Amino acid sequence: MKQHRKGLLLWLAVVAALLALCLAVGPSGGHGDVQAAMRDAVLHDQNRVSLFGFKDVNPGLISAMTVTALLLAAAALIRALVIPRFTLVPGRFQLALETVVGLLDGMAGVREAGRRTFIGAYVFAAGVYIFCGTLFELFGFQAVTTGGHPIALPAPLSDVNAAIAMGCLSYLVILGGGVVHAGAHGAGAALKDFSLPISMSFRLFGALLSGLLVTELVYHYAALSYGLPVVVGVLFTLLHALVQTYVLTMLVGMYYEEVTETPAPKPKKEKRAARERADA
Amino acid sequence: MPLNIDWQQILLHLLNFAILAGGLYFLLYKPVKDFMGKREQQYREMDEQARRDRDEAAALRKSAQERLDAAQEEIAQMRIKAGDEMEADKQQMIAEARAEARRILDTAGKTADQRARKALADSNDEIRDLALEAVRKMLLNDEDALDKFLDAAEGGQGNG
Repeated sequence: MKQHRKGLLLWLAVVAALLALCLAVGPSGGHGDVQAAMRDAVLHDQNRVSLFGFKDVNPGLISAMTVTALLLAAAALIRALVIPRFTLVPGRFQLALETVVGLLDGMAGVREAGRRTFIGAYVFAAGVYIFCGTLFELFGFQAVTTGGHPIALPAPLSDVNAAIAMGCLSYLVILGGGVVHAGAHGAGAALKDFSLPISMSFRLFGALLSGLLVTELVYHYAALSYGLPVVVGVLFTLLHALVQTYVLTMLVGMYYEEVTETPAPKPKKEKRAARERADA
Repeated sequence: MPLNIDWQQILLHLLNFAILAGGLYFLLYKPVKDFMGKREQQYREMDEQARRDRDEAAALRKSAQERLDAAQEEIAQMRIKAGDEMEADKQQMIAEARAEARRILDTAGKTADQRARKALADSNDEIRDLALEAVRKMLLNDEDALDKFLDAAEGGQGNG
């Protein structure tokens, strides 16, 4: 009871201190124009980062490369240190790894082993990339813009170019799978959904960008920078990392399964084949 | 381009993702899937082996049960046969005992008859001797009576 009272008093003190800080900072906080900041978050026309002196690119590309480097380094470490020690009865980390691989592989939807390997690997990579890429913005990795300002690297897929790349690649994977496994029928089924790359790209872009804009808006005002980022920054990011991973992998798996299914022969053809057999 | 879309950056993103996808496939996805596949295969084999063992045990049990049933049937038949043989032996022994008893009775009858006859003959001889003795004693006193008696005795022997 005494401990509870202590905790309650501490919590009230923290809340009061934060409130006092908010009031002390005042409503006119923020540096620069919020419209310009949000416009830059969408278009990246001001804060660009040099890619090894080769080209000025959006910060999202640097984020994507950083995420890739980190993921590959982690994967190499796991491959070298953890996977050789896998046991029949899995430990916690092994169980977590197997669950992630099994879960994303299961999202591929396709049951047939021959078709599954490629789409399973693709869905796994895309899922890991989207999830880790979205969480990447929480860590606040810094980069220096060409203008000399430091910026926190955003989620890779909040860059429209990354979203278009992911959406179009997913569509190409679906189309390719249709052509390879179901021939003209598969290609037709994939081409029928010609709006898919655009919808996939802009769904990803919109979802990630909305998170970025809300976060940008919240952090732009000092008064909103206490307490609120815990919910906006962490919980929302975690939530939409999960949701976007689920949505894209589920859509890719579902469309891939649909277009790679071999069509059942039409009754007329069956009748004709039966007649030919009878004639023979 | 609208929205700052840059084809070169799109291609760079594609390249980046291709590297990531390939790396993740070879470093994580494939080894983990291979391990899971091997484990699944191992458990499937264990399951198959257990099923085979169970089937084999069931077959063995069935065979043992059949043999047990056959043995029980054989035991029952042997018991019936032994009962029959025992009954036959019993009847034979009873018949032999009865025959033996009859023989003993016959022998005993004959022996008793012989003994009775002998006893009668002995009694007759004794009576005769006694009678002769008695007569001799009387005749010691009367010579005529002795002769008459001897005549009478000889006459009786000739009749008897």
